[in-house]
Amino acid sequence: MSAEDDCSLPNRFMAARTATPTPMRARFAAAVVLLLALPYAAAQDNKPTQYDVEAVYLYNFAKFVTWPQTGPQRGPFTICVFGEDPIAPILDRTIAGETLDGRPVVDRKVSTLEQLPACSILYISASQAKQVGRVLAVVQGLPVLTVSDMPGFLAGGGIIQFVLLDNRVRFEVNLQPTQRDGLALSSELLKVALNVKEIGSGR
Amino acid sequence: MLNLRQSSIARKLTGITLLVSGTALLSACLAFFAYDQYTFREDLVRNLAAQAQIIGSNSVSAIMFNDPQTATSTLSALSNQPDIIAAGILTADGRVFAHYSRHPGESFAWNPHGGGEQLYEFRTDELLVRQPIIFQGRHVGTVYIRSDLKERTHRLERYGAIAAAVLLLSLLAALAVSSNFRRSVAAPIVELADTARLVSQEKNYSVRVASTGRRDEVDVLIDAFNNMLAQIQERDYELQQAHDELEARVEERTRQLMAANRELEAFSYSVSHDLRGPLEIINGFSHILLVDRGRELDSYSRDCVQQINAATRRMSELIDDLLNLSRVSSANMHREKVDLTRMAKEIADQLCRREPSRRVEFLIHDCPPVQGDTRLLHIALENLLRNAWKYTSHHEQACIEFGCENRRGRTVYFVRDDGAGFDPQLTDRLFKPFQRLHTTSEFPGTGIGLATVQRIISRHGGEIWAQGAVERGATFYFSLA
Repeated sequence: MSAEDDCSLPNRFMAARTATPTPMRARFAAAVVLLLALPYAAAQDNKPTQYDVEAVYLYNFAKFVTWPQTGPQRGPFTICVFGEDPIAPILDRTIAGETLDGRPVVDRKVSTLEQLPACSILYISASQAKQVGRVLAVVQGLPVLTVSDMPGFLAGGGIIQFVLLDNRVRFEVNLQPTQRDGLALSSELLKVALNVKEIGSGR
Repeated sequence: MLNLRQSSIARKLTGITLLVSGTALLSACLAFFAYDQYTFREDLVRNLAAQAQIIGSNSVSAIMFNDPQTATSTLSALSNQPDIIAAGILTADGRVFAHYSRHPGESFAWNPHGGGEQLYEFRTDELLVRQPIIFQGRHVGTVYIRSDLKERTHRLERYGAIAAAVLLLSLLAALAVSSNFRRSVAAPIVELADTARLVSQEKNYSVRVASTGRRDEVDVLIDAFNNMLAQIQERDYELQQAHDELEARVEERTRQLMAANRELEAFSYSVSHDLRGPLEIINGFSHILLVDRGRELDSYSRDCVQQINAATRRMSELIDDLLNLSRVSSANMHREKVDLTRMAKEIADQLCRREPSRRVEFLIHDCPPVQGDTRLLHIALENLLRNAWKYTSHHEQACIEFGCENRRGRTVYFVRDDGAGFDPQLTDRLFKPFQRLHTTSEFPGTGIGLATVQRIISRHGGEIWAQGAVERGATFYFSLA
């Protein structure tokens, strides 16, 4: 079998919680089985959906991005979902019990602009396409990693945009806002990005 | 002459040099070889593990964002490593994520269920390395690399060639050194050995070994040897001189002695012979006086003439004995087998026939024959028996014994009588000429008999000695060589 065929299973394993290797792995495998079995077993014959993959990626981004020391250091690491989106319940399951640098990872559905600065990662639902300009304006200059799968997100000032290519979830990166926001994206992340908009290149 | 090429010491020196250098080099090479193989293995494992680690950490994002192309291109960087047969990345649950192979169809997998710990495995011509990818404390996947060991084989071949070359070069160097050794050590020793043999074979102490010119032990040896030769030569010369001198002196003395002896013999012979002339005249005229004018002489005169007659007879005996003695001393010896027993019986017969009135018992034992001069031994035995006969004449009955006994491996003959005997303190005077232990009136005699006997025995290389006591008889022992 080729890697392409089956998408994100390993990634999902990645995301599953573990702290110490061996007993973790057993638990982890059990979690995977559960994850796969429960919501999608009937609907999609065990194949992860786009949302499954995006949810795992959303959490994985956190591992390749460095937030400035000025940001909220205490308290949980927050992944926000702006607007109603199918990813929200999946993300909820994906990050359940996960930690990042000792901080618990939590997800939060946000609907008002005031809630945005507390987010470290902000997923903007495609359903909020009309509001995206305002949302990005609020978080401009704040260390918030903005992610969305709506088309033209990067051109609007977003940082990461999911794209579907050959039935696979990939992403593009726009580095221009990261400098101002104080976010540092790892070259490893950029390496696997489909496209990277470098700093200095025109908007 | 020893040839330097054939000399065993030179051969041994060369052999030792070659052996020592060869052994040292070979063991050094082997040790180096083993060490290199060991470190090479370690290096290879470390190197491959490092490669796997790099590949792993470069593939973390690719795995996490499901980008096999990136992982594959990372893996394909291995193509500049011709040793690597194949490599692959497996996800944490054991699925192939990306792979690379040098030639199509070559598999990298070898133990896909081997767990997450780092591991390597040497096969006959392959090294397999497994390196888990850990990202933020989490097992993300595993990198597998399969490498051949051609590099090791090449390395072995290269080292083998280098070692052979070094060995050859150092053996040549050792040969060169040993030839120098031969010149400086073996050659002088060989020359020394040659000279030593020459000296011992030809007794030529005049040869010398040339110095090596170096102040080393061999030179000291050569110096000492030369010194020794010089001392031997000197001593030899002195010895020869002393010997020559001694020989000359002995010759001179012998000549003098022989001349004196000849003079003495001639003198005694002529004296004895010349004395006989006037004695004959005295004897003749006194005889004529007695026979022709005996009736005209009164009894006193006749008595005087008879005294003269007796004296001249005694003088004549004396002269006979003296002539005998000198003849015994100078006569030539004819050695032959002599039966002393028979000789003793004949002499005893003669004595009995001459004086049949005497009552003397002869005990003559059988004795083994001897080698000697018959005439001289007859004179000796006759003298001894006649002495025994004479010195028993005062006894009415006497016994004279001839026999032999074995004393410490040699036969000793004896003549024993039970006559007048002698004072044991005067034993040493018995065999001296003209020395008598009794007066002529007691026992007539000239005192030359035993001297003659002793002369004869000593000419036969034997010994004579006597035992006795006054009136207890005497025993004369003699041995013959």
